[in-house]
Amino acid sequence: MYRYDQIDQTLVNERVAQFRDQTRRFLAGELSEDEFRPLRLRNGLYIQRFAPMLRVSIPYGLLSSRQLRMLAHIARTYDRGYGHFTTRQNIQYNWPQLERVPDILADLASVEMHAIQTSGNCIRNITADHLAGVAPDEIADPRPYCEIIRQWAALHPEFSYLPRKFKIAVTASPADRAAVEIHDIGVRLKRGPNGEIGFEILAGGGLGRTPIIGKVIRAFLPQVDLLAYLEAILRVYNRHGRRDNLTKARVKILVRALGAQEFTRQVEEEFEANREFAPRLEAREVERMAAFFAPPPYRQLEDSAGGGTGAGAPAYEAWLRYNTRRHKIAGYRVVFVSLKKHGEAPGDMTAGQMEALAQLADRVSFGMVRATHDQNLVLADVPQAALPEVWRELDGLGLATANIGTLTDMICCPGLDFCSLANAGSIDVAKQIHARFDDLDYLYDLGPIEIKMSGCMNACGHHHIGHIGILGVDKHGKEWYQITIGGSSTGPAALGEVIGPSVPKDQVSETIARLLEVYVRERHGDDERFVDAVRRIGIEPFQERVYETHHLPA
Amino acid sequence: MRRIICRRELITDDVRYPGETPGPDTRAVQPLAQFIGALTAGQSAGPQAAILIGPADELEGLAVHLALVSLIVVEFPKIGEGRGHTQARMLRQRYRYTGELRARGALKRDQLFFLARCGFDSFDLDPAEDLQAALAAFSDFSVAYQDGSDAVVQVRRRAAAT
Repeated sequence: MYRYDQIDQTLVNERVAQFRDQTRRFLAGELSEDEFRPLRLRNGLYIQRFAPMLRVSIPYGLLSSRQLRMLAHIARTYDRGYGHFTTRQNIQYNWPQLERVPDILADLASVEMHAIQTSGNCIRNITADHLAGVAPDEIADPRPYCEIIRQWAALHPEFSYLPRKFKIAVTASPADRAAVEIHDIGVRLKRGPNGEIGFEILAGGGLGRTPIIGKVIRAFLPQVDLLAYLEAILRVYNRHGRRDNLTKARVKILVRALGAQEFTRQVEEEFEANREFAPRLEAREVERMAAFFAPPPYRQLEDSAGGGTGAGAPAYEAWLRYNTRRHKIAGYRVVFVSLKKHGEAPGDMTAGQMEALAQLADRVSFGMVRATHDQNLVLADVPQAALPEVWRELDGLGLATANIGTLTDMICCPGLDFCSLANAGSIDVAKQIHARFDDLDYLYDLGPIEIKMSGCMNACGHHHIGHIGILGVDKHGKEWYQITIGGSSTGPAALGEVIGPSVPKDQVSETIARLLEVYVRERHGDDERFVDAVRRIGIEPFQERVYETHHLPA
Repeated sequence: MRRIICRRELITDDVRYPGETPGPDTRAVQPLAQFIGALTAGQSAGPQAAILIGPADELEGLAVHLALVSLIVVEFPKIGEGRGHTQARMLRQRYRYTGELRARGALKRDQLFFLARCGFDSFDLDPAEDLQAALAAFSDFSVAYQDGSDAVVQVRRRAAAT
């Protein structure tokens, strides 16, 4: 992984000192709430429903065991003993005290971490494929490019007060596990005609109130121009993005208003005009950065079918099938750590679990852990012979629910329980769905289904791109839920369609059960996924079933 | 008397904005549109013109007249306004403007570091700000990842081409 040098370390240390002084001035009344807000947001600090919330950056989801132990320490020392992993591969703490946040940031800096630009109208954490470097299908490791972009974006003097937040995702795989089409900028690694690496650039995607799929604005950008082109996009956006209306300020609205063609023309014009001053990304710099992400010292192993004690038990076999993935190196396997146990809020993890996982990672996965944008964690480099042992340990920790990719592997925002923006709860709806669909064999029969749930239209839970999307709405002070189907983050990305009037809270799992009933009846063979069936037959058969009785309002 | 920060020192401001009373040694600032309008009408404007530009003003029309200008004031009417950062960088880089470049408006010391890196060299901050204390903000960071107009910061050098 990337390691800080003196410049990186000095920068985060000075950032802590700066924020400590800003917090002091706020508490002393020298800064008003309006003046302090943009400063604290740029350090990840929100004022929430019950307490401040601190969002810590995990660049492209990559963590060392040492860093994970520090996250556990912070949960124990400054919070209530747990943290919440988010859809941006970050972690949030829901109960820190404002006065102690500078100390938390200082603790983070001691392990090469920070909370810089995890909120506010600036360039946010760069996200990437959580299988980067181990996926058999990738063109090249995207992480060196992510780190290059992270450094370019950190405290960028020109782009620190944008019209609105700005999210960049990078993928190097056709499977696109980074959902680049729903980002302000999506970067796809491509090979050029001579095998050289370049990028397809997308712009103007995003969810929120106005969900839009990003448009390709450059089919192939040479590597040397990556930062210059990002700078051109950001400059066009910073100058012309709307600042009069917060809900129309994202770059997607500018791209839509201008049209992708005109937006592209302006970006290209700016790119050409600024060549002399824009940063260049030389091949040597990419090589220097790539050295940080060199493969770990893999042993020469043979692929096996699992083996070891514990093999053969049905629970182990299910876990092996659903919670592990193929690795590009023979004898190794990728292990998903499920943060979707029945009864727990999706993405939540206790300090004890973090510490135990850090220890396990040291033993079996080169001391590294990754956060996914589906709110799970990954041990990316596990020798196949160690799988039964890893399963037993994770099972003992409550982290081996064999549901990765199934219905109960839900994405879910913190909702009304914690968030001051939410209209409705999402965590207890997740629990309701878990309770209704607790039969794993039934879930396995259903195949891959993504449920994504947001407590309000800001769409932190990405409901628009869920195969089944659930959006909390407020109706006369009561919590109701609007259901969409047919959304997808990839292959190609699509926005779900609303099936009809929203349903009351106690009917959410019943509604899902009916959707699944139609799917099971209509599906073509075992291989047709729910979302593919929706694409093929449309939403009408689903609507008919959901709204056919008095259980639900017509 | 209004105090401002100019080239990292506190001085008394000699600039008068539209609506303010001019004095014997003051400089009057005119809005960009007025400046361009006068030039278009054939009136002489230089050689030491002082111009006021707002966040939405385009710079392309001003660029050819920059030889006549010795002060450009960029307004930041609201907390969180960020267009002036781009205007400053374009003036300094693309249009090679070397005169005084001032940031004025809803600005606290917390914005000084970025503004200086974008090319501003004078600052008319929120009147409530303690200007003496604010001077320390130019040294908030001793390092940066991006090139900037200030010379004091150690900038991360990306490896050069071979």
